[in-house]
Amino acid sequence: MKVRRDLKTVRDPYSGNEYVVVLPIMPDIAIIHAAKGSRSGEIVTDATRNDRLLAMAAKKTIAVVEELVEPEAVLPRRQEVFVASVHVDAVVLASGGAHPTACPGIYETDTAHIREYVAASRDEQGLTAYMEKYIFGPDDHDRYLETVNFRKE
Amino acid sequence: MTKPTISNQPVQTPEVMIGAISGLLRDGEWVATGTLSPIPAAAALLAKMTHAPHLTTLIYGDPDFRLSEGFHELFALAQKGKIDVFFLSGVQIDKQGHINLSMLGDYDHPTVRLPGGAGSSMLSALVRRVILFTTSHNRRLFVPKVDFINATAADDSPWRRGGLSHVVTPLCMMVFDGTKKEIILECLFPGVSLEEVVRNTGFDLGIGERRIPIMNPLTDEELAVLRGPVQERMRRIYPQFAASVWGS
Repeated sequence: MKVRRDLKTVRDPYSGNEYVVVLPIMPDIAIIHAAKGSRSGEIVTDATRNDRLLAMAAKKTIAVVEELVEPEAVLPRRQEVFVASVHVDAVVLASGGAHPTACPGIYETDTAHIREYVAASRDEQGLTAYMEKYIFGPDDHDRYLETVNFRKE
Repeated sequence: MTKPTISNQPVQTPEVMIGAISGLLRDGEWVATGTLSPIPAAAALLAKMTHAPHLTTLIYGDPDFRLSEGFHELFALAQKGKIDVFFLSGVQIDKQGHINLSMLGDYDHPTVRLPGGAGSSMLSALVRRVILFTTSHNRRLFVPKVDFINATAADDSPWRRGGLSHVVTPLCMMVFDGTKKEIILECLFPGVSLEEVVRNTGFDLGIGERRIPIMNPLTDEELAVLRGPVQERMRRIYPQFAASVWGS
């Protein structure tokens, strides 16, 4: 409270305790990555993330999916969570779309690539070269995956 | 599934109500229906299949409508302001548009205990338009003053987004006058007399010198869609209602 002077408190009328309250976070757009989704907008995502909460909080939600399937095949397995289509505004099919981070159960984090990025981002010149090679260079997502030598385990 | 005889039958009262409600829904809106709401559900489907193809229909109880966890997600959507239209009813409805779903008589010594308001209070304040529908029309239902207020039609709360829009009954359609903050009669359904509506309503319908028009809520094309694809969907969602209207 000393640092965040914008925060306010309320007294819980039941217990009488004083609590700090913060305004809810409502992102304009949430982009979440999911293993599977359908054209009608339902998706399944990794249970350890808070993707459903994020989708429900945001004004608009874009789900990037590894695989498009029929609505009845969008079923959560162990460690997966179902997100109903009412919370999703757009579904984008992009296999490998989470690279260089992981899509749990499908591919792991590309640590070698992240190391390369961290090294490149130390100075302006390195970062520009990185951006040219991986972001601006490839014409589309498939070319990007080729350039980074993407493989699903 | 569709019985060929359906098309020859005269238009039935629930069909008239479905047509009237469908006409109130606008293209692009998000329309949600709660429990025990077959008439609004059919109206939402009819609107989507006719004049409002971009309607988003959230029909609770529809096996094809999947939520992630439960009904609380509809409340969350209402809180976010995503739901434009919701449907409620009441055991009592009064001229100010209050609805009662809790009890009859004195609150501490009720003569009848009712199921309760559920989400009606919150939803009526957080959606943009509420449409009330009733399956009967008499003076026990339309009373001068409700015994208990579960939801109000309008108030000055800063967080309130909208309020009561219309009331659709088996006899007529009423509209909520936002200036006077009271329900007035808008139109009669075919075959219903003004005298019949007045006799069965326990409050003044604000008719005055107005000529009350008779609404024909369904075109031939809409009736065909209602008795065709809407009826088929309703067999899955509300099988008992569908059987009672369109036969088994």
